[in-house]
Amino acid sequence: MDKTLNDYLETVERSLKPLPVSERVDIVKEIKSEMLELQGGGKTAGEIVERLGDPKALAKAYLGDLIAEGGAFSGKRVLALCAYYSLAGLSGMFVIPVLAICAPVFILCAAVAPISGAVKLIDALFGLGIPFAARVGIAGIENPFAVFVLSIVLGAALYLIGWGCWRLLLRYIRGVSSVKQRLPR
Amino acid sequence: MNIDDWRSQIKRGTLEFCILLMIKRRPSYGYEIISALEQYPILAAKENTIYPLLRRLMKEGHVTFSWQESAEGLPPRKYYSITDQGLEYIAAMSGEWERLLNAIDELKGDEHHG
Repeated sequence: MDKTLNDYLETVERSLKPLPVSERVDIVKEIKSEMLELQGGGKTAGEIVERLGDPKALAKAYLGDLIAEGGAFSGKRVLALCAYYSLAGLSGMFVIPVLAICAPVFILCAAVAPISGAVKLIDALFGLGIPFAARVGIAGIENPFAVFVLSIVLGAALYLIGWGCWRLLLRYIRGVSSVKQRLPR
Repeated sequence: MNIDDWRSQIKRGTLEFCILLMIKRRPSYGYEIISALEQYPILAAKENTIYPLLRRLMKEGHVTFSWQESAEGLPPRKYYSITDQGLEYIAAMSGEWERLLNAIDELKGDEHHG
């Protein structure tokens, strides 16, 4: 048998390591049978390998299916699920609430800051004497115009932080569910 | 409109049924099944789909296999044949298939006459 084909079968064999020897032998024998069949039909080794595709992918297809059956491989699935849930569970317990709280709070503050700045400015301009308006200030700055401008900048910054938290939250949730989908069923 | 996507979903859902029907007709080996499916573009599937699927059907007891020496120096072939349980499974699938086609026919009918 051609070296290319032999190498192919060896790679498949190696990639099937998690399986019992008897199954591995049987799988390799079946693939070899098709190779010889194709060779008998006049196909070159290159054509045969191209047809069968990546040997590791072929082996993986068998493994995926075996894990799906449960049986001897359910242990693997249980481990994978445990790893997934403890990771997602632990980090989720912290990450999801923090982000879920931060996102709306920052966005709310982003709205409150310029409104307060505007109130202070209007109060100062028209001398309305709105209660507490005089106390509005940023980092010790009391000048109404400066406070107004700063409050807009601050609002924009808070909005960006809140929006960032929101995006992170979505990405985190999406990431967790895509990992879940890749787990063997 | 992505008809390829839909086609591959149909294929995924029906390949098992088609393979069992083929094996029921007569015992067949892997390459034979793959070549036969290649004649139908909607069913064509590669080795890395068919072999693991055959293996699963075997583990689930729907098919059984035996290695047979073939004539004129060709390699031994792994022939799959249907089991009694496989026949029952096919009967159940055929029933469902019938119901699906009837449902589709009815829905199509509504479109034409209603």
